[in-house]
Amino acid sequence: MHRLLRSSMLLRMGLLVTAPLLAHDMWIEPMTFSPQTGEIVGVKLRVGQDLLGDPLPRTTALIHQFIVEDSEGRKPLVGRDGSDPAGFLRVAAPGLLVIGYNSNPSAVELTSEKFNQYVKEEGLDSIAALRASRNETGAKAREIFARCAKSLVLSGPADESVGRPPPGITLELVAERNPYTLRAGQELPVRLTYESRPLAGALVVAMNRMNPSEKLTARTDKDGRVRLRLRPGGMWMIKAVHMIPAPAGSNAEWASYWASLTFEQSRN
Amino acid sequence: MRLSHLVAGLTVMLCTEAVHAHEIGTTRVSVAFREGRTYDVEIVTDATALAEKLAVSPGSDFEEKFRQRVKVAFDGADVRPDISYAVEPPIDALSAAAATVHLTGQIPDKAQTFTWTFGWTFATYAMTAGGATQWLEGGESSAPLALASLAPPPSRINTAWRYLRLGFSHIVPYGLDHMLFVLGIYLLSRRARSVLLQVSAFTVAHSITLGLSMYGLISVSPRIVEPLIAISIAYVAIENIFLSELKSWRIALVFAFGLLHGMGFAGALKELGLPRSEFVTALLTFNLGVEAGQLAVIGTAFLLVGWHCARRDWYRSRVVVPASMLIACTAVYWTVERLSL
Repeated sequence: MHRLLRSSMLLRMGLLVTAPLLAHDMWIEPMTFSPQTGEIVGVKLRVGQDLLGDPLPRTTALIHQFIVEDSEGRKPLVGRDGSDPAGFLRVAAPGLLVIGYNSNPSAVELTSEKFNQYVKEEGLDSIAALRASRNETGAKAREIFARCAKSLVLSGPADESVGRPPPGITLELVAERNPYTLRAGQELPVRLTYESRPLAGALVVAMNRMNPSEKLTARTDKDGRVRLRLRPGGMWMIKAVHMIPAPAGSNAEWASYWASLTFEQSRN
Repeated sequence: MRLSHLVAGLTVMLCTEAVHAHEIGTTRVSVAFREGRTYDVEIVTDATALAEKLAVSPGSDFEEKFRQRVKVAFDGADVRPDISYAVEPPIDALSAAAATVHLTGQIPDKAQTFTWTFGWTFATYAMTAGGATQWLEGGESSAPLALASLAPPPSRINTAWRYLRLGFSHIVPYGLDHMLFVLGIYLLSRRARSVLLQVSAFTVAHSITLGLSMYGLISVSPRIVEPLIAISIAYVAIENIFLSELKSWRIALVFAFGLLHGMGFAGALKELGLPRSEFVTALLTFNLGVEAGQLAVIGTAFLLVGWHCARRDWYRSRVVVPASMLIACTAVYWTVERLSL
């Protein structure tokens, strides 16, 4: 067991060293996933790899939408430009809170090797095929990317509620059951939507803070759904990436959307 | 002209809008080179994130783990810096703790360039060195920095020579108003004693206010000082038309005007900037340069007109009075101009 842990650590280090410039995940990490009613919770944005990340301070120019949905409705997360945590919320009532962050696009230019490697890692097979058919596999790629992160926070006892209608961010992972009610061995159905329509055939990856290198992966079915059997305990991040040809006038060839969903699993 | 500015402005605005914002993290790096011999790279980063990275890194201690993630190179060759760190606790429960790591060492002899790589951040960060900033991604190497452009501050002799010249050029050729004032002093009387006493009073006075202003002990707005300087020139020139002997009140007035001119010099010197390490040297040599400029004006005037004509009967009527009138007219014009700014 110890040896297994060590080798997985080395694997993670290897990824860090060889791929520092590759596209990174971005996720929401609240200071607590189980706040008291009335509590003020700092909500951090983090960017990194294998749940090892740096805080992203609030950048007003990047925020398209940074909100929380609770039983009382939708509210923006407040914060000062440049501050970390990037936003704060007050828990107004017990229940499930859905935090959503949808960024404006950022631009990046990648060498062909790096772009091809990342397209492969994120399971964007159709993009790789499209590039091959256009004889572009050896070309550098200009890309605009937007972050579509969500987080589920529970105040008080869990019930079967999965929150109000989803916030409607561009690429969205929707937990179809409240993950805080899952018992050991039960599956979590998760649906991936792009512009509110199910997205089929996308790679969905889940990883846990306690051992991020041990990943669960699945492809979405025709209804955009995957079922994940999550081990109890620790913070989970579920992620998916969707890429399309960039719209005209965006000064890029590709536009990507990075969805993530974070929550914590109790050890019951 | 205005339309083209508007078009240019709009183009800049449109271009700016098309630029996408980067994901900038909380890490920042600043590099200092001391006297061309030692370097100090300071990394300020989120303490919690750093602790998490350290926890999954192979290696026995902080130094060993951290060393694997940074690259300090001179002329492309890696060096091994000394590493120290400190953690600053968060200012309150809702903010984050910051860790400060210092990488220090000797700059190799004859090194020309410095390159920096930090492989332990996932967001864009700023690296500043010598007042210039590079935005870098984690794992990305900085553009090589030429050490010559980050050279240590110039020596005292260099500073002294530079500020001496700056002081001189502030009178000749750039300080026409001060030149005319000094000429006005010169033209009053043909006696050397008159020139000597007035110039001494002027020098002592402007040295006082120059020093006091530069040390921040007095501060008068240029909007007040500059028109008053113009008035002082007009006054001296007009008085020359009615007066041909040095009176004691004239010395007192020249002293008072000197106080004004000193504040004018201070304004110019503040714009030039003073090196913090050689403040006194720069202040004294600038003042000396100003004196040299004054003496150059008086010397030239003496050689051009004083030497040949001062003993002539017509010196006053054909030189002193017309020249003073010309100076007075110019100064009155400046007064109006400076008051309307």
